[in-house]
Amino acid sequence: MNLSVKRIDKDSRIAFGLILPAFLIVFTLAVYSAYWLVRMSQTKWIFGKTIDEAIWIGLENYRWLLFNENTTLWNSVRITVIYVVICLIVELVFGFVIALILNGKIFGRSIYTAILIIPIVVMPSMVGMVFRLYFSYDGLINYFVEILFDTKLNWYGPELALPAVMLVDIWQYTPFFVLILLAGLQALPKDPYEAAKVDGATSWQLFRFVTLPMMSPLVVTVSMLRLMELLRGFDVIFVMFAGGPGDATTTLPLFVYKTTLVARNLGRGSASSVLLIITIVSLTFILIRIFERVRFEM
Amino acid sequence: MQTRKFRKNFSSYLLNVLAIIIVFLFLFPYLFMVSSAFKSRLDTFAYPPVWIFVPSFENFRAIFEDIHIGFYLKNSFIVATSASILTMLIAVPATYSFARFRFVFKEPLAWGFLFLQMVPGISIVFVLFYIARVLNVYDTYYYLVFIFLLWNIPFAIWMLRGFVEAIPIELEEAARVDGCSRFHAFFKITLPLMVTGLVATTILIFIGAWNEFQLAFFLTSTNTRTLPTTIAFFLTHSGIKWGEMFATATVGTLPVVVVALLVRRYFISAMTFGAVKG
Repeated sequence: MNLSVKRIDKDSRIAFGLILPAFLIVFTLAVYSAYWLVRMSQTKWIFGKTIDEAIWIGLENYRWLLFNENTTLWNSVRITVIYVVICLIVELVFGFVIALILNGKIFGRSIYTAILIIPIVVMPSMVGMVFRLYFSYDGLINYFVEILFDTKLNWYGPELALPAVMLVDIWQYTPFFVLILLAGLQALPKDPYEAAKVDGATSWQLFRFVTLPMMSPLVVTVSMLRLMELLRGFDVIFVMFAGGPGDATTTLPLFVYKTTLVARNLGRGSASSVLLIITIVSLTFILIRIFERVRFEM
Repeated sequence: MQTRKFRKNFSSYLLNVLAIIIVFLFLFPYLFMVSSAFKSRLDTFAYPPVWIFVPSFENFRAIFEDIHIGFYLKNSFIVATSASILTMLIAVPATYSFARFRFVFKEPLAWGFLFLQMVPGISIVFVLFYIARVLNVYDTYYYLVFIFLLWNIPFAIWMLRGFVEAIPIELEEAARVDGCSRFHAFFKITLPLMVTGLVATTILIFIGAWNEFQLAFFLTSTNTRTLPTTIAFFLTHSGIKWGEMFATATVGTLPVVVVALLVRRYFISAMTFGAVKG
């Protein structure tokens, strides 16, 4: 008894020792940044001025962001929700359908999966620049729009800027769903299909009652991963439109950038950063809880 | 019977044609980007787009000789390589500890890492900028790599943990019964078995660091500017230099695309594993 207690003690010292470097680096940096961020968020501080010129104003920045009648935070929340939800649904549905197609009797499947990796790994900043030209009035996209609908669209305008950045995200990350769901489909056991076929199931029934239930844990996980990435999405939107025109593409990460650097309000920008971090971390927490429950029930 | 076979064949052809069309749609923007890098200035702006043209290497000459893109490639390479190596050196022992030991606050600690990984770069980049100024490390490789660790270490731990846990602990225990030390057993037994995971994670981290934009954009300047943040150079007073832009994008994405294609088996398994582990 005594011996075993001692042994665990020694073991946990090794365990902590192994984690220590990772812990020190990550948490030191995180705590130090968090300390500064929270302090900054309670000041009136113009970007570029020294910290001595910052004025302590407590929670005023938060109050302004959340409740002032001039705040655009809630508009950004609305834009973020539209952006995230539409991108996620389109990518999931397209991704699943394409994965199902590629899971059929397809020649050269490995070539296709190789090609589909490309959009995922290309630099988002360059993607943003390239699509900026593609979406210009005399650009590639309008060329096809004109062929199909005999008209040209102003993608740089306030109505279509958000759909434009969504299209780019859909181009870039639908393959992400395809590759993961395809790998999942190919790993499914064959027996349930045989059994269902013997019972005379149609292909729709096969999909609805065999494929879908077996795939749903993976579908939920991939969607969650993508959801978190979409919430943090910055690069492509920044490079294409920098949140503009007006506030048309100002999702929450862009809101942080614009408040801090464009409006040069470091205090309010930091406060919006804190709000963004709280939102994302608590959302992660809630989603994981829901996910665990769903997985448990299945 | 005949018609049924015909129908089956026909739908199979249809599916193959559909697959080709879909995959081509996803490849097309990238292909057009690469081909535009070889166009002359006039052809880049042509409407309707020019499909057949005489390839010119003028854009590539311009970016290597006028913009010195080689310097930024070098910076990106230094940062991405050191970030991946350092991350793995620090994350592998930590992962082993999470996967093989039992200790207090284990799961809360693991979740703590995960939550930190969720923090958007843009939300703390201005704080990091001020810290860099205070510590006098703004625009250095060390600082940028160090900052990347904040996201990469948690990511690597969460990726690798599943790989380690999938290796039966009995193998290690057997080695230890035969007289191996814990570390010997790890190096001899576990490490060789988790090579897939190590390669996959390293690749994902390298690609992430190579492509990273928002932190590098605000934390680097003339000395260590990385390739993704060079986009500002193409926004000149006389308009955007699109040809050079396309050439830079081609050069910058080429290494990553080649690596991803070479190790696509690892790459897909890495993404799947990350997904399954949540």
